[in-house]
Amino acid sequence: MPQLNPEFFVSQLFWLAVFFTFLFVFLWRVSLPRIDTVLEKRQNKIDDNLSSAKELQEQAMEIEKKINNQINKAKLETDEKIKETINTLQKDVSSQLSSLDKDLEKKVSDAEKEILKSKDDQMKNINNEIANITKLTVGKITDIELSDNELNKVIVTNKGSFN
Amino acid sequence: MAAKDSPLKQFEIDPISNIEFGGYNISFTNSSFAMMITVLVITLFLTLTVNTRSIIPSRMQLISELMYNFIAQLLSDTVGDNGKRYFPFVFSLFMFVLIGNMVGMIPYQFTFTSHIIVTFALAAVVFIGVTILGFINHGIKFFTFFYIPGVPFYMHPLLIPIEVISYLSRPISLSVRLFANMLAGHTLLKVFAGFVVSMPFFTGVFPLAFIVALTGLEILIAFLQAYVFAILTCLYINDAYHLH
Repeated sequence: MPQLNPEFFVSQLFWLAVFFTFLFVFLWRVSLPRIDTVLEKRQNKIDDNLSSAKELQEQAMEIEKKINNQINKAKLETDEKIKETINTLQKDVSSQLSSLDKDLEKKVSDAEKEILKSKDDQMKNINNEIANITKLTVGKITDIELSDNELNKVIVTNKGSFN
Repeated sequence: MAAKDSPLKQFEIDPISNIEFGGYNISFTNSSFAMMITVLVITLFLTLTVNTRSIIPSRMQLISELMYNFIAQLLSDTVGDNGKRYFPFVFSLFMFVLIGNMVGMIPYQFTFTSHIIVTFALAAVVFIGVTILGFINHGIKFFTFFYIPGVPFYMHPLLIPIEVISYLSRPISLSVRLFANMLAGHTLLKVFAGFVVSMPFFTGVFPLAFIVALTGLEILIAFLQAYVFAILTCLYINDAYHLH
């Protein structure tokens, strides 16, 4: 078996020592620190991302809270405004209704007054007409000229019997 | 069988250039060449793939990181926080054995891990290092490692020698395990390769198919033995910290 031939034992050991030592020192000083820095960098990056994600989440939650608060506030405000408008509208309506009522009442009373006045006027006219007609009729039949005063006296005294 | 056809011929060492130093033959051989290729592959791969140091790794960089994490995990599982200091050594050991085995799987390439002197040297470094570490950590108390607590006193005369022998045989078991696995696997491949040529007509296809399957198995064993070498090193380091 060539393995047991001691001819090259020293050579094997020498070159093994040379190459393994070189490999060990090279990996220890060059390769492994490189991989180490890469892994560390990655871990740092992951940690950073995680922490910033947490921060963002917190910020998002705060913003959500703010939004909810504002929504609630807005709801309350709108409710109040709706109530206010309903109230003012009701007041307006009632005031306008009352003013309308007043107008109508006034108009009604005005109309009543006018009717009365015109009634009086009509009555006066009727009295005058009656006086005229009476005057004319009396004049034609009897040739007596009646003065207005006399006629009026007669008419006023007999007023009840005309109707 | 003639010597040139022997399945063991693949393990013969051929000097590429003869060098002598202080009366010792330190020729640069095919074994040394395989070691050089192994070291070059490891250093170049681990350096070039991580060259960009990108946070989002390329596929090649990911392989380097996976190897790094594999050994780092192994060390932290077996030794704990103390193990971080030995990471470069265990990682170098694992990569050296793994790539050495893999380089050996390339046809016509030499497998230096199939040489007992190489594996024994690696195992001896581990054994001596761990023993020194044990004495640094525990001083003279390290000898209590051989004393098993909770055993009837009359068993100790029997158990302590067993413990000592098992401790001393660690480098042998560690080195022979790797050496024997590599030797057996490569010899088997060569034997079946001989059948491919010597069998009549097309029947040579069967040993050829067997070689293909066996190559897959050998690649698995190449990885497994590197892993076993690394994990046993980790366990020995752990023993140097925790006496029972």
